[in-house]
Amino acid sequence: MATSTYGATATASSPKRTTSTTSVPKGIARTKILLLGQRRSGKTSIKEVLFNALPPKQTFYLETTMRVIKHAYDTVIPLEIWDCPGNVTVETLGAPLSRFSALIFVIDIRDLYKQPISKLVEFIIAASRDNPQLLVEVFVHKAEKLQEDDKIENFRQIQERVQDSLMERECEQMPCNFHLTSVYDHSLHEAFSKVLHKLIHSLPFLEDLLNVFCANSQSPKAFLFDAASRLYVATDASPVDSATHNLCCDYLSMLNAFGPLYRSSTSSATRLRIPSVEPSPDNPSPQETKHRFYPSAAASLHPSAPGTTLTYHLITPHLALLALVPTGVYEGRRGLLEYNVVFFREGVQEICAVEQEARGG
Amino acid sequence: MKKKVLLMGASGSGKTSMRSLIFSNNPASLTARLGATIDVEQNHVRFLGDLILNLWDCGGQDAFMDSYLTTQRSTIFQHVGVLIYVFDVETNEMHKDLEYYRDCLDGLRQFSPDAAVFLLVHKMDLAHDKDATFERKKKELHEHSEKLGQPTPSVTVFGTSIYDESLYRAWSSIVHTLIPNAAVLSKHLTIFAEACSATEVILFERTTFLVIATSSSPTSPSPGAASQELEATRYERTSELIKAFKHSCSRVREEFHSLEMELPEFSAVLDEMTKNTYVLIIVHDPTIETAALKLNIRMARRKFEELQGLT
Repeated sequence: MATSTYGATATASSPKRTTSTTSVPKGIARTKILLLGQRRSGKTSIKEVLFNALPPKQTFYLETTMRVIKHAYDTVIPLEIWDCPGNVTVETLGAPLSRFSALIFVIDIRDLYKQPISKLVEFIIAASRDNPQLLVEVFVHKAEKLQEDDKIENFRQIQERVQDSLMERECEQMPCNFHLTSVYDHSLHEAFSKVLHKLIHSLPFLEDLLNVFCANSQSPKAFLFDAASRLYVATDASPVDSATHNLCCDYLSMLNAFGPLYRSSTSSATRLRIPSVEPSPDNPSPQETKHRFYPSAAASLHPSAPGTTLTYHLITPHLALLALVPTGVYEGRRGLLEYNVVFFREGVQEICAVEQEARGG
Repeated sequence: MKKKVLLMGASGSGKTSMRSLIFSNNPASLTARLGATIDVEQNHVRFLGDLILNLWDCGGQDAFMDSYLTTQRSTIFQHVGVLIYVFDVETNEMHKDLEYYRDCLDGLRQFSPDAAVFLLVHKMDLAHDKDATFERKKKELHEHSEKLGQPTPSVTVFGTSIYDESLYRAWSSIVHTLIPNAAVLSKHLTIFAEACSATEVILFERTTFLVIATSSSPTSPSPGAASQELEATRYERTSELIKAFKHSCSRVREEFHSLEMELPEFSAVLDEMTKNTYVLIIVHDPTIETAALKLNIRMARRKFEELQGLT
């Protein structure tokens, strides 16, 4: 198979790949994200939908979080999401704010009252003292509960109130971004992706790789997605249009769902070139990585000639490249396209390896 | 050939919602916008080459029901191929539902004694203990039908919900009874599967993505065993996934056309077979290239068009 041979060259030439990414050493420095907000504002829902693939409809049955839950998640950078109970304060958090890279504050859009905002302001003030670099992101959540007009109005009011309270407390130097989110559509994924981008220090390099890939493959748009959470880690320089992002997100969720559907335990042994089966850290055998198989897929979106094909290539065990490619290019010059994917893969894997080394993995 | 399908049941039990999902490619989230059906909404769905489904969505309000059973009796119950009676799992008026169901069976016996009967226990997503609730309802409906002179094997009961794949399962099995040459299609799919070294080949109707036929387990022991241990709900899950993706495509004004996948567990190609069917080939053998599968589909196209009487 063309992809696997190319995959083999890519891994063989990057010696750093021998260190495993799936079995995370204890001492690795994780980027910490604090998830805060009032009780029942939707913090655990957000965490579960994004990182545990919980169907949005099931979030209704989630239990109240009683203590801080730390959720480790490995993507291009290792993350640690702290899901906090509603009543947590700066003092009872159990860790200084300086240890966090981002604070996501969740406000229920129907909740216009003083409480959540004054709590957010408390945290921002503490952050401006302990950790002025802390990213503060506000998710105005459960947007699906309101009609379009009310939604925009409440969103605007919440922003205004937060800014006003910060001004009152003379703390307006802390920048704070607002996102309108809902677990029922793609807005949550888009908002969280944007937060994630600010935490990835190697982002410019990933973006450059994507730009090169797009230019050489005549692709109008390409995303590097974290496959399981469907958050995009990076994209090329062309502007992101929500519709395309949503389509890629849906495509990924379809492929994720297809994966286990036709699984067969008797025949999967013969296909055992699965990327998730990493060589164990104490016995890294380069022979095994040679046969590494990188899953790929392509969906053609138009029956006739100048159509678009949506391609999917797994890049690392966690990351997948999704690109829009003219169908003519995909069908006529597939070899070249896959050659470009291999170079892209090699680059991304090297960046990941450097990142991991820097974090003491 | 035209087949009349009667869709009946109490008002608000979800008849029009399921029709909109299966035949109009609308997502479940939009069904809340549907209004009550007034009298009968008829539509024709060209299903396979010469099979046309004539779907009668009968509004379920009492006034309409009474008129179906009296003044419109012969119009409604004549030439029926399939009666689908929908029961809301959470209904408070099961008694009334069953009375109307009895009257409909009477009408059916009078005008179309050969019609197949399917009972759908709908909105299963609302039930607490799904399996137990369904078993209880199923038993109740079978016992009731038995009393009305409709023996258990002639009545098929399904638990359905528009929020999961169960609806596709029920409808696939309903249309399967209406397809005259299902067995022939299945036989040819089996031959085709062998030619592709495929574990399984599935034929879908193009607009609804309901399963028309599948390759039966090949005689050779190894792949046969493989298809037996596959996930039991895979067909309806596939229908659901493809329909959802088709909907995503239509939102960006694109039209889904074909799909090929080389996943860790299997390779697959989904492509147009004839102008109203799609075929999905599932291969577990890692040496089979998707391009070869596509070529095989192209070569099989003529034969399958012939089978559907399209040439």
